[in-house]
Amino acid sequence: MNASGLNLRKHLNKHMLELILLVIFIAMSFASSGFFTIDNILNIFRNIAMQGIIAFGMTMVIIAGEIDLSVGSTVALSGVTTGAVTGWLANHGGMPMDQAVIVGMIVSLVLAGLIGLFNGFILTKYKLPSFIITLAMLNVVYGAAAVMSGGFPVTTLPSWYNVLGSGEILSIPVPAIILLLIFAIIFVVMKYTKFGRSVYAVGGNPESARLSGINVGRVKIVCMVVVQLLSALSGILLSSQVMSGAFSFGKGWELIVISAVIIGGTSLFGGIGKVWGTFVGLVFLGVLINAMTILNVNEYVQYIVRGCLILVAVLITTIQIMKRRS
Amino acid sequence: MSTLETRDITKVYPGTVALNRVSVSFDSGKVHALLGKNGSGKSTLLKIFSGAIQPTEGDVLLDGNVVKMRDPSDAFTKGIATVYQELSLVPGLSVAENIFLGRAPMKGMFVDHKKMHEMASEMLGELNLNIAADEMVYNLSVGQAQMVEIVKAMSFKPKVLQLDEPTSALAKNEIQSLFNMIEELKKKDVIILYVSHRLHELWEIADTCTVLREGQLIGTAPMQELTRKDLIGMMFGDVEIKTRPHDLRISEEVVLEVKGLTRHHKFQDVSFRLRKGEILGIAGMLGSGRTELLKSIFGADPADGGEIYVNGKRMKSPTPQKMKKAGLALTPEDRKQEGLIQIASIQSNLCVASLDRIGKGLFVNGKTEEEFVRRQIDGLQIKAGDVGDLVSSLSGGNQQKVVIGNWLNTSPSIMFFDEPTRGIDVSAKQQIFQIVWEQSRYGVSSILVSSELEELLEVCHRILILSDGRICGEYTPEQLSIEDLYALSMGGESL
Repeated sequence: MNASGLNLRKHLNKHMLELILLVIFIAMSFASSGFFTIDNILNIFRNIAMQGIIAFGMTMVIIAGEIDLSVGSTVALSGVTTGAVTGWLANHGGMPMDQAVIVGMIVSLVLAGLIGLFNGFILTKYKLPSFIITLAMLNVVYGAAAVMSGGFPVTTLPSWYNVLGSGEILSIPVPAIILLLIFAIIFVVMKYTKFGRSVYAVGGNPESARLSGINVGRVKIVCMVVVQLLSALSGILLSSQVMSGAFSFGKGWELIVISAVIIGGTSLFGGIGKVWGTFVGLVFLGVLINAMTILNVNEYVQYIVRGCLILVAVLITTIQIMKRRS
Repeated sequence: MSTLETRDITKVYPGTVALNRVSVSFDSGKVHALLGKNGSGKSTLLKIFSGAIQPTEGDVLLDGNVVKMRDPSDAFTKGIATVYQELSLVPGLSVAENIFLGRAPMKGMFVDHKKMHEMASEMLGELNLNIAADEMVYNLSVGQAQMVEIVKAMSFKPKVLQLDEPTSALAKNEIQSLFNMIEELKKKDVIILYVSHRLHELWEIADTCTVLREGQLIGTAPMQELTRKDLIGMMFGDVEIKTRPHDLRISEEVVLEVKGLTRHHKFQDVSFRLRKGEILGIAGMLGSGRTELLKSIFGADPADGGEIYVNGKRMKSPTPQKMKKAGLALTPEDRKQEGLIQIASIQSNLCVASLDRIGKGLFVNGKTEEEFVRRQIDGLQIKAGDVGDLVSSLSGGNQQKVVIGNWLNTSPSIMFFDEPTRGIDVSAKQQIFQIVWEQSRYGVSSILVSSELEELLEVCHRILILSDGRICGEYTPEQLSIEDLYALSMGGESL
């Protein structure tokens, strides 16, 4: 094969996911007139926004060679906390609800930050796998959210709060704007900052990174905190969208979030991955679910399709890595 | 009574003859030491007996019959068992389960645990070992694990037992119990082949000694008739030692001082000074504590006592980050596991230690990064197609240069090189030496650890001898012959 042909093939291999996405887009545009409309595209972004925000943080965590299974529970906790703090301050503290909700949001972010700090500290100090620590935290935090809410949705929230989750700027949903903003920030951090480079080094070979004088523990802790903060943000947006905080929020999200990251080509072994890939993975999942809904595919069949997709995506990534090595 | 013999055995690798028509014979009930420096062919001979490799020519005879070992498991069934330096026990299984791994006595579909433990207990008892058959292997000391490994090998009822550096990881008291065990084994009429770099042990445990040099059999003799001087003379013959360039200058300024540094069970009370521009060698065998010493000074491993001064400033509780800031650098012994990020590109690997330097503030400056990469690729003559290629695609020598380049990018004033020439070819070795000398000309001081002691004589200004975790001598290359240096490093006095 000549050089340009080889190059083309290399590019095709590299952008396989984008290509498949394009094919689905074109096919769907023919299959349904309602698919390729501005409203529907914005709708797709609105639907992936909440989980997508977390996925970018999860990309950092996974590239650092760790995982966080407790993100879904943090979504619940922050929704409930925001509502509960607002209600408490408004009812017992005499603070106007409009301001109380701001305190509520800050408290949920701080709580999430502390959870991330705790996860990161335990995994660094005691060398426990983050899988185990965050599996435990998934339960603890979920339980805490349920206890705090008393089992019922917390609904004392001011009406302006609804803007965050349901508002639009230039007819673009606010959550979609936040999603793009978070994407841009994490994209730049991972690609252009020294910290981003150190995340790749730590995930690629922690011992070598340590011996190169990189503070491996600190890098991992920062990643664990960032993903928790983003989960809290996601929880706040969700509670704003539905104007209540419930402990059932975010249940099972960790798997959807991790799926998006992995479909985007990030290696679960750490050290390899791209923020852009996660973005494509998210849109891919969003488009697929949207398309299947438009085509009236049975909800449970959608699960099957999504599961197969994850497997295929991971296979493709693994085979590509194997090819690069040989 | 049985015998293991080789007839004109030859092993040719592309470019080298590892064994050249070696004919030798070992008889049972004795411990036969195999001696030779790195590259002498003793490991090749061991591997041929263990079935790991096939001879190019010649035969192996067991009790007068030609035997061919297709692979290690074939060698076991034909009566040659080998215990390697690296332990191969499964930590999560019991001693008995490990001994009978894959061959457990069965009762119908299930393992007969009772019988298995009885059998294992009997074998342990026969060799006077105080290890319970139902003990989990992760609870054993290294010495006990080593002995279980030997029991496992013996459970195949071999005619030949090969022990490759069995004492290198053991503490003193453990060595004694291992020797007691070997004495018991001798009574079982087994041919024991014993490889060790600890010369003084040989008089204690071995009956005969066979010396190889550059693939040739130099001779075999009873241990009692040999002196240290004889053995070292046989190992080395006449070697020509090249000398370092004459223009290297050392200033009087002390850049690194270590006082009484101790890490329990690794090294004790180590003190030395390193001057600006000086290349200091540390000679020590496997298990002497050389790697641990470098890592502790660098802050990568903890120390239990002692003081470290860099440019006269005391470094308390050092970490690699702190020591890097102070101007230290370490190229680790294990290039693949510790020196490089295998799944990352050459470019990324050249800029890991120097991340803080490639750009101001939080961001990476692409131009600076490119300069850093270029500087090392050109300066160290790293042969790479594209700097974006994976570092694992490079040859060993070039990978080592990437490890060194990663650190040179931090503009260090003190470099630690731990076994920088392991597994790389002769011309790449010379290039590494050139790099060390070049750095000395710039005023960078180096500490070089190598088990190829000739290299230390060639490269260094001064050599410290580390044996069993203690500094037991300091010499200049001019004061020492290679034989002296080996004799000292292997524990003991010079000739």
